[in-house]
Amino acid sequence: MLEADVEVDRRDFTVRAELRVRPGERLALFGPSGAGKTTLLEAIAGLVRPRRALITLAGRVLTSTAPPLAAVPPWRRRVGLLRQDPGLFPHLSVRANLGYGPAADRSGAELIQLAGVLGVGNLLAAMPARLSGGQAHRVALGRLLLAHCDALLLDEPYAGLDSSLRRLLTNLVRELVTARQVPSVLVAHELAEAQAFADRLAVIDRGCLLQSGAPDEVVRRPATRRVAELVGYLGFVPVGGSDAAPLAGIHPERIAPGAEPGRGLVMTGTVEAARPAGAGWEAELRVADAVVTCHLPDRPAAAGSELVVTALDPPWFGPDGAAVVRPPRGEQVGA
Amino acid sequence: MITLLTHLSGSAIVSALTAPGALDPLVVSLQSGAVTLAVLLLLGTPLARMLARGTLPFPRVWEAGVLCSLLLPPLVIGLVLVFMVGPYTTIGQLLGHVHLSATNTFLALVIAEVYESAPYYVLGAQAAFSAVDPRLEQQAALLGDRPSRVFRRVTLPLAAPGLAMALAIAWARAMGAFGAVIIIAYHPYGLPLQIYTTLQETGLASALPFALVLLVVALPLPLAAYIWSARARGRRRG
Repeated sequence: MLEADVEVDRRDFTVRAELRVRPGERLALFGPSGAGKTTLLEAIAGLVRPRRALITLAGRVLTSTAPPLAAVPPWRRRVGLLRQDPGLFPHLSVRANLGYGPAADRSGAELIQLAGVLGVGNLLAAMPARLSGGQAHRVALGRLLLAHCDALLLDEPYAGLDSSLRRLLTNLVRELVTARQVPSVLVAHELAEAQAFADRLAVIDRGCLLQSGAPDEVVRRPATRRVAELVGYLGFVPVGGSDAAPLAGIHPERIAPGAEPGRGLVMTGTVEAARPAGAGWEAELRVADAVVTCHLPDRPAAAGSELVVTALDPPWFGPDGAAVVRPPRGEQVGA
Repeated sequence: MITLLTHLSGSAIVSALTAPGALDPLVVSLQSGAVTLAVLLLLGTPLARMLARGTLPFPRVWEAGVLCSLLLPPLVIGLVLVFMVGPYTTIGQLLGHVHLSATNTFLALVIAEVYESAPYYVLGAQAAFSAVDPRLEQQAALLGDRPSRVFRRVTLPLAAPGLAMALAIAWARAMGAFGAVIIIAYHPYGLPLQIYTTLQETGLASALPFALVLLVVALPLPLAAYIWSARARGRRRG
């Protein structure tokens, strides 16, 4: 179990977070750039000094700012950190990089087996400068796994890689984390990457942990309007005439064309713009003084036309931004 | 080198270098140069690393100190050294208690060479250490290496080509040190002083063979360091 209760001062704000990650569990820390995600990982790895912290891993106290004080140095923490830059040692071959950790298997059998799984088995004699970005990441991942760390920290490791390679590496890490039963934390600022990896998602913004839960739960039921904004809700539509009327959070990908009152909030609006997006269309719809973005399977009517869509089971927020109990289905809001 | 060779005959070189005691200055220069390099390696390397990583208190003061010995004319360095380690200074008197002297001795020659060559090594080594990505050192630590092992397995191999070049330049500077040497270490003669005194006493033609010897001992190390650095960088490129 990795447990971290950390406060780290940064120039602009203080990062405060409390994490508990069980063996074999995969936690994704999701938030915008500069939210303090990397700082949190670096505090766990012992690379930054926290103002206040209690960090334990597998029963060992790594950092404690309260008596009895503890500050285990990075080389004794047994915490592996993989960053966006794979950080291969440029003067060592792939084989030497893979076997760098003192815990790495000296016989080489595990190294060769893992290199094969990672698809770098034929590159063992190559120097890192000769590797592609994807190959370098695979070697860095293998080096970390061969070091047999007690926890795995992944700091946006796949940024810059193509989507098929990301998927491959994500699946590989998922399998290995489960097989080895080590707690793992992924930092991501892309929701899809966080969802693909994690079985628990924690949203962080300006150093504060805003919400934590199952990935679909966090996305479907954000605790606050800020969390909703971070996980991709692009429109907030007031339902009811008063200033205190609740706002429905509209996620572009949770829109069904036409009126389906049994499934959510039916909205009638005016098309302001439409453009192709992926395999479908993206339309901007003006509804009750708010502009909402909708992803639709088919091309919507021309700009200025009226369009009816249904926001599927949207989350609701009060004037203070906190989630509120959703009104009964069948609500409608017009242009 | 070519210019020197065109003005020298083989017989002139042989007669100059086979005279009794003619090679003593070469031996003195090689010995003092070797000790100078050892001092630079032992003291200059940690200083350069701390300057590169910003772990020294008042780093600007240290950098200014290093730059001063680079920017001051060597003759002025020699004069300053007289007031720092001369026989009437505190350091000089302390040395006297252990029967050492920092004027006109082998020790004085080494001190003068260290002062003249140190900035070339320290600044070069600082640049070499600065070029090592600190994240690689962090990664090595997270993989289980304590700092001394990180230095040995990551920092040093990555900085080695730059360190070798800096050391080779410092060697060439130490071999050719003259300004500070003539002030505080007129004896024992190294090659530069041998060239100077021969020039003064018997003329240009007699001094040229010693100039050739100085070039022959001063240049191979920088050349070898350059070739080794280029090969080391080439190996990293695969």
